[in-house]
Amino acid sequence: MTFVLAVCVAVCFAVSVYLLLGRDLKGVAMGVFLLGHAANMSILAMSGSPVKDREATELLKSAPIASYDTPKVDALSGMVDPLPQALILTAIVIGFAVMGFLLTLLVVTARSAKTLELSQLAKDPDETADPPDADTGIETGVPA
Amino acid sequence: MSETTSNLIVLMIAVPMAMGLLCVPLVNFPKVCRAIGLLSFGGTFTLSVVLLTLLTRHDTILASQMGGWAAPYGITLVFDSLSGLMLAAASLVALGTFVHGFGSLSPRTERRYFHPLVNLMMFGVNLSFLTGDLFNLFVAFEVMLMASYGLLVIGGGKAQLRHAYKYVVLNLLASSVFVIAAGMAYGMFGTLNMADLSRIVTGLAAEGALPPGFTALGVLFLFVFTLKAGVFPLWFWLPDTYPTCPISITALFGGVLTKVGLYAIARTFPLIFFVGPGADRVLVPLLAVGAAMTMLVGVLGALAYSGLRRVLCLMLIVGVGYALLGITVNDAGGLSGSAFYMAQSMIVMAALFLCCGMLERVTGTDETGRMGALLQNPKLIWLGVMLFVGLVGVVGLPPTSGFYGKLVIVRESLNERFWLVGVTALVVGGLTLLAAIRVWGTTFWGPEPPPEARQAEGDNERKPAGKSEWLGAALLTVAALGVGFVAEPVLSTATTAGQQLADPAAYVDAVLHNPAYAEARVAADYDGHTGSAYGGHRKTIEPHHAEGHGHD
Repeated sequence: MTFVLAVCVAVCFAVSVYLLLGRDLKGVAMGVFLLGHAANMSILAMSGSPVKDREATELLKSAPIASYDTPKVDALSGMVDPLPQALILTAIVIGFAVMGFLLTLLVVTARSAKTLELSQLAKDPDETADPPDADTGIETGVPA
Repeated sequence: MSETTSNLIVLMIAVPMAMGLLCVPLVNFPKVCRAIGLLSFGGTFTLSVVLLTLLTRHDTILASQMGGWAAPYGITLVFDSLSGLMLAAASLVALGTFVHGFGSLSPRTERRYFHPLVNLMMFGVNLSFLTGDLFNLFVAFEVMLMASYGLLVIGGGKAQLRHAYKYVVLNLLASSVFVIAAGMAYGMFGTLNMADLSRIVTGLAAEGALPPGFTALGVLFLFVFTLKAGVFPLWFWLPDTYPTCPISITALFGGVLTKVGLYAIARTFPLIFFVGPGADRVLVPLLAVGAAMTMLVGVLGALAYSGLRRVLCLMLIVGVGYALLGITVNDAGGLSGSAFYMAQSMIVMAALFLCCGMLERVTGTDETGRMGALLQNPKLIWLGVMLFVGLVGVVGLPPTSGFYGKLVIVRESLNERFWLVGVTALVVGGLTLLAAIRVWGTTFWGPEPPPEARQAEGDNERKPAGKSEWLGAALLTVAALGVGFVAEPVLSTATTAGQQLADPAAYVDAVLHNPAYAEARVAADYDGHTGSAYGGHRKTIEPHHAEGHGHD
């Protein structure tokens, strides 16, 4: 199981790095999202599989809450440490927010610069800090 | 220290969060939002100073367990001298830049959720200064970053949008790495509580049984934190993104955000990752080279550019290098020098950025080549004084505050291990002086530029700076001077902070020493041997080894 997860993480990483190095901002955004998934899956791999017998894993994957006062052997049988999954849940929620922001940013950029190619965005002539109130139609929703 | 006092720490994060949320529906009433923001930052500043005074008087560390969950299971908030110092400085910077923003932001930009975003950013910043849990640190970073993304593109200028991607994508990358590293830390040690990690790691190092990937884990965290701090070679996004924002936001970012990354290094590395043999072989050399190169690259950039905003950003990077050097030295002296330097650098850099904003107001540009002889304008004399004070503070000439921090850091680094970096720091100090003279000379002191150079296309409208702008800049400049002239309390706090960082036993004890923890662990019947690494008053817990990892 861990091996399958490891392969998944590796593939996700490879694809996301490929996307991140591209010159299209949409691809970069997708690369970032995929990277988040890879990170979450790698935490899942850390949490391991449910413990089957005591000898095989010692005390590794016992849930800290389960080992409070229940007998250890009972607590360990078939239970996986829930904490990494709580961590993943948190990371997923944060990832959602970030995804929403990044997609909004893409839309606004596309409206204001009329392109999402990094090479063309970089070429923009007015390099100086322009007044921050330039109308990009953020408030009105009308393309500038 | 009573529990009630300890629980006051929560206000440091609850107040900005509540105020930030309160501002959201009131965003069309800027006056109300301003009052709310002032209350929030003034409140956190006062509270942090009061708690710091208590801390010094009782010589203790405040820890508060969220929801009453005992230490390694729940999330702990810890308020020690370093946290307190950073919180006070950050709140002060937020206050000053916020006030400056009243005048320098256009009413339209201000209504685009400026107040809630600043409040929520400070919520994230304060949480990262307080938290005693690695994953919670990640959450705090994310809260701070989300708000900073919003502030970065506020108003949506073209340059802002274009450069925002560098900042956003790099930080998202760092966040993913942070998640992975936190997961790995949990997989290795079965805990994410920093104090618990420190205890386990120290115990394992004494037995020579640190898991094989421990140093790699340290390097992963180093990547995350140095990227936030703007350390060489991960500094390149900073001078591109910061200058594009409205100036009060640039000042807030420049003052606070890089210091959060530095704080995270100062907090976790002496506590956890500098333990064991791998640190001396890998982490310390990486940090030392990083510190030296950060200083050098920063100062050379500051000498090369003529746009004032960029020059200031690069001076900020120089400061990051100095603070990092103090952390790398990793003894009580170096760490206390870093603590002091970080706090004063926050205030001084923010003050300088605000002065830069007012100069732009008056001259319509931030190109120093097109200013000159501004001192002849009687209305600008005080602005000149403030800029001068800020520049001298950055260079670190006595009696300004920069002197003490640099003195301690350089003195501690001049030993046989770090002398090369120490000498670099001295040389860079000289070059910073040169850069500062250049700024001062081209803006206020030097000759007037030829009339045709004074106007250029793309200049902003010239108008005198408003009252709130003066007030914000003056507040921070006076504070920067104050830290220099009344250095004693700040310096003694920084010294305590350095001692606490260099000897983590007190920190670990403050977090973990509670009856619930010990009982629960004993009941769990771990085959631990008696005699803890810290005093032996508790049963040691067998750490969750990484062996047998990856079973099917």
